[in-house]
Amino acid sequence: MTMTPDRLEVFEEIRERLRPECERLIALYPDTRSALIPMMHLFQAEEGYASQEAMRAIAGHLNVTTATVESTISFYTLFFRKRVGKYMLQVCRNLSCTMNGAEDIMAYFREQLGIGHLETAEDGLFSYEEVECLAACDRAPCMQINLEFVYDLTPKMVDDILAAIKGGTYPVAPLPQTGEPPKTWIMNQDSQVSRGDKSPGAENVGHPNNPGGIGDPSGVIMLDRIILERERFVGRTRERMVNEPNVVLEVVREEEQETWQPS
Amino acid sequence: MAAVVTPVLMAGIGEADLRDITVYRQRGGYKQLERAFKEFTGVQLLDMAKASGLRGRGGAGFPTGMKWGFLPGNDKPRYMVCNCDEAEPGTFKDHMLLEETPHLVLEGILIGAYAIGCKHAFIYIRGEFKRGFEIMSKAVEEARAAGFIGKNLFGTGNDLEFTIHRGAGAYICGEETALLNSLEGKRGEPRLKPPFPAVEGLYKMPTVVNNVETLAYLVPILEKGAEWFAAVGTEKSKGFKIVSISGHVKKPGNYEIPLGTTVRELIEIAGGPREGRTVVAVQPGGGSSAAIFDQNLDLPYDYESMAKAGTMLGSGAMVVFDDTTDFVKAAYSLVRFFAHESCGQCTPCREGGHWLEQTLERFVHGQALQSDIDMLKKVSRQLTGINLCALGDSIEPFLASVVNRFPEQFEARVLKEMVSK
Repeated sequence: MTMTPDRLEVFEEIRERLRPECERLIALYPDTRSALIPMMHLFQAEEGYASQEAMRAIAGHLNVTTATVESTISFYTLFFRKRVGKYMLQVCRNLSCTMNGAEDIMAYFREQLGIGHLETAEDGLFSYEEVECLAACDRAPCMQINLEFVYDLTPKMVDDILAAIKGGTYPVAPLPQTGEPPKTWIMNQDSQVSRGDKSPGAENVGHPNNPGGIGDPSGVIMLDRIILERERFVGRTRERMVNEPNVVLEVVREEEQETWQPS
Repeated sequence: MAAVVTPVLMAGIGEADLRDITVYRQRGGYKQLERAFKEFTGVQLLDMAKASGLRGRGGAGFPTGMKWGFLPGNDKPRYMVCNCDEAEPGTFKDHMLLEETPHLVLEGILIGAYAIGCKHAFIYIRGEFKRGFEIMSKAVEEARAAGFIGKNLFGTGNDLEFTIHRGAGAYICGEETALLNSLEGKRGEPRLKPPFPAVEGLYKMPTVVNNVETLAYLVPILEKGAEWFAAVGTEKSKGFKIVSISGHVKKPGNYEIPLGTTVRELIEIAGGPREGRTVVAVQPGGGSSAAIFDQNLDLPYDYESMAKAGTMLGSGAMVVFDDTTDFVKAAYSLVRFFAHESCGQCTPCREGGHWLEQTLERFVHGQALQSDIDMLKKVSRQLTGINLCALGDSIEPFLASVVNRFPEQFEARVLKEMVSK
């Protein structure tokens, strides 16, 4: 992805539009940082995925570093750090669903979609993931489509759902599509999450939450900690970092801005 | 005891639209909240919780009143956090309560918050429950408009704020300290204990984290009295429990029963096994619990009996297995789950889970070695009791129980001949 002027303008508009809502979210909590996850939900609902620009904007709102935001976001599987398709199909693969035919449903989905676990179809209409227990075991096998539940799945229902989405008549709204084109979820293929279950031609596809290539954020995280717990670092770290962490942080941020290469 | 379904929290679900505050209030809703504020002090409510014998319904079964009692007597702000990060395999009760009767959940949280002297309560809702989050948001708006949240409630001078927080997909955030980290906007990694949340929880302040079902029970307990609740159930496991029954039964679903109903009765309540099949195993307390077999199916379903049988009541998620079950696949799906959900802080859980998952993958594909079976039987000693939280301890109980019970299913997946290269 390149940060084209268009992209910057588009994001600037989004950021300004969401500013009041961000401020409302911050006001909900005794501590500002608690608004991090709700804000990411907000930006992802707007953009379809957790973009680098959104993380930067959140960092600005919360007065923490982008790396802090990213390290938090990367913990949570519902934040997609690369763009996904318009319809996110998440089929449960856990115990009660497996006992009630989820394996057949998953195989049928893969066959019909032509993609496998953690993959996005080439036309960007579907992303497919096999997820853990969705807390609907009485209606197994179950799934979520853009986080709306679908229960008691049968192959016939799979046919109907896919046909309705392709025909534009499915009642759930598509995920917004902004930023990079949907050639997504690409990472080094030998990671734990991306092995297995691949359909032909999709060998390079991996998990959205581990895109890699952003660089090591540990230095900035350290500065963050120094700001928060200054006393602990006195005498243990370079004087300037302890006495003027905000100034150092600004320099680091500027460098980060300059040297950050879009992956 | 006859097998009886007794809807208490579930009363009215399916009959009326309890999401509507008008309907909920017509059925007596929010009367107990008003009574709590006007007629009771926090100490009285704490005593009532203790007298009722109510225990945590999220999994640990810790006595609720005792948990509240751990709060230190200082004047720091206190927080009440309701744990609705339901993701234990097989559990789907909080999902139902949240979506079907959000006002009851809210009323319970507010009563609990008032009882511990908290001015700001939270509910942490699992990220996947987007619909539930929307339903709860609407319920909170309605309650706020009706004067149940905000300043000077019921003219008593008490303030109570309420915030809904939606997670973003992490089973581990159901662990209370991980939940608090997540609520603080951090990675959902469990904390080292002590200090326990009661002393140093949310924002380093005294905090109580209670399950949805636990807090919801405060409403009927306040209405009908602690004695009414304590009269039901067994000596140490008092009251009612919503049991989520799924797997190989005819009518899977949530059933609210008095604790102490036998496991076999519960299977019957859920419609019994499928036609022509027999039940060979039951997992009584969610993905973290060991399976029970045969004679243990006649045990009463309560905390003590389950513990005595080497398993646990947990969150009340009962998965029933009939004689068609492939236990290799069942164990694999659970181990894969825990390996996927490990936060990665502790080596035994992070590495052990992944390693077990790979081993079981070999079994699923018929590629296992004879020595793998012995390893599966021994592995528990290397996983249990040495992690920051209970997730690492949860990986192997089910696996160990079915390997010991159905070794032939595992042996059938061992490579018969080593292929020479």
